[in-house]
Amino acid sequence: MTPVAVPVPKPALWPVDMPLEPRPRGALWIGVAGKGGAGKSVLSGTLARVLAQRGHQVLAIDSDPMPGLAHSLGVPEPEAPRLMHAAEKPEQGPWRLRTGIGPMTVVRRYTTPAPDGVRMLQLGKAGTDGLNPVNGAVNAFLGTVRRMHEAPALYGWAVVGDLPAGPRQLAAGFSPYARIYVVVVEPTSQSAMTGRRVARIARGPLGADVIFVASKVAGAEERRRVERLLGEPVECEIPRDQAVRDAEKRRVAVIDAAPDAPVARAVRQLADIIEQRGVQSS
Amino acid sequence: MKIAVSGKGGAGKTTISGTIARALARSGHDVMAIDADVNPMLGISLGLGMDGTERLAGIRQELSESRADDAIHEHTVEGLIERFGEDAPDGVRVVVASRVDMPDHGCLCCGVSADRLLRDMEAGGRTVLGDLEAGIGVLTRMEHGSLDVVLVVANPTPKAIEVARRAAETAVARDIRVLVVANRVAGDEDLEAIREVLGEYDIAIVPEDPVIAGADAEGLAPIDVDDTSPGVRAIIAIGERLTALPV
Repeated sequence: MTPVAVPVPKPALWPVDMPLEPRPRGALWIGVAGKGGAGKSVLSGTLARVLAQRGHQVLAIDSDPMPGLAHSLGVPEPEAPRLMHAAEKPEQGPWRLRTGIGPMTVVRRYTTPAPDGVRMLQLGKAGTDGLNPVNGAVNAFLGTVRRMHEAPALYGWAVVGDLPAGPRQLAAGFSPYARIYVVVVEPTSQSAMTGRRVARIARGPLGADVIFVASKVAGAEERRRVERLLGEPVECEIPRDQAVRDAEKRRVAVIDAAPDAPVARAVRQLADIIEQRGVQSS
Repeated sequence: MKIAVSGKGGAGKTTISGTIARALARSGHDVMAIDADVNPMLGISLGLGMDGTERLAGIRQELSESRADDAIHEHTVEGLIERFGEDAPDGVRVVVASRVDMPDHGCLCCGVSADRLLRDMEAGGRTVLGDLEAGIGVLTRMEHGSLDVVLVVANPTPKAIEVARRAAETAVARDIRVLVVANRVAGDEDLEAIREVLGEYDIAIVPEDPVIAGADAEGLAPIDVDDTSPGVRAIIAIGERLTALPV
């Protein structure tokens, strides 16, 4: 993959500390978004593994304070957020990424190894007191994702970001790296409405490309329903698959438990589309 | 009485909230529904349709964009509701609390965030029902006594049950009463999975119901599709159970 300079339109909603100059980013930097329960984590984890099996160096990012990506990637959840160790609290001011640590160092030192050579970067884990106790990890996380474009060593990587439900984190700048958003939509009105909102933010202020995926569909009629509720076509469909539920109950990755399950085959098709799209946009 | 509905995304918070709001309004309560989700969709399950729900969210978008004009800003919660609330069927009043694309401003109007709206508003004689955003964030920002009850919605998946457990613990730590809603229960195994983790709390059961699934598929309020189906009846019964609680 050749790194390319992408002019980013000035986003009115961008947080003030975000750089607005054109920034080069990797071609296969992907954000996975949609409503809660749409199947984002299963899709993200499986997609990361599929891309890795095809020879990409993959960084999988779980930016949800309720982490769920570890299971679908096939790694045991780390006890404490590793990123905490990459954070420092200056005498004045908020927690931040430690001085001298860049995104590549974070990837090397503070990520969790997953099968097929995938590295998993995890935001953290909120307890009953909320995110405050892991503020260090959160700010180190934001410091990392917002500076990924400064790490040329990452340009050739594939990045798969599993985003929290809904439009909030997109609008709040949790995934500025993403050039392609995979928007996951179930055949329900709520899921479609979320998909529309997420796509509007991704295409507008974030200046990214969107791939709509119909998720948990049983048959052509449900795919058509997704398209009708969205008001636009989908490029790929992930079937409703008992293998997902079985794997989730056993807390293993579906791609390990059932590598040829319909859902895994569908994610391979999605990977084809993404690879093609990444090449086109380079 | 002030009720909040919490749980993992996709667990069924919005469907439960909208249906309870409609049911309570039908039985004569003065219901104020607050859509406190940053991805507001309560309008759908209240019966406003997808377009009506998008329009309701749009009122909030316009509000922050015209910040320069102080005259249109409301400084009180009551004023906000009066001005920006909308009528839903059965006399429910509904207001959307945050902007879709500018969530971190947290500004409903003049700095009134969704959190503050829920925390500070006086229920008076009304039943205030807040549909919270997914996860436990808003609950962690509530103070002791700022809510009467939290409905913690869990569908029978490990992740949803885990989020529900954290939500329930968070509420209890703030002296807020918890009622767990075991949602989309299709059999004993589902109920057992929820009881195993949440057995120490009161649990209301909502069975898997094609009427509710069908309503969501079409953007309709379940209570408008069939108010006698097992799932809808179970949700209506939760409303009755809530009104019987001492405040």
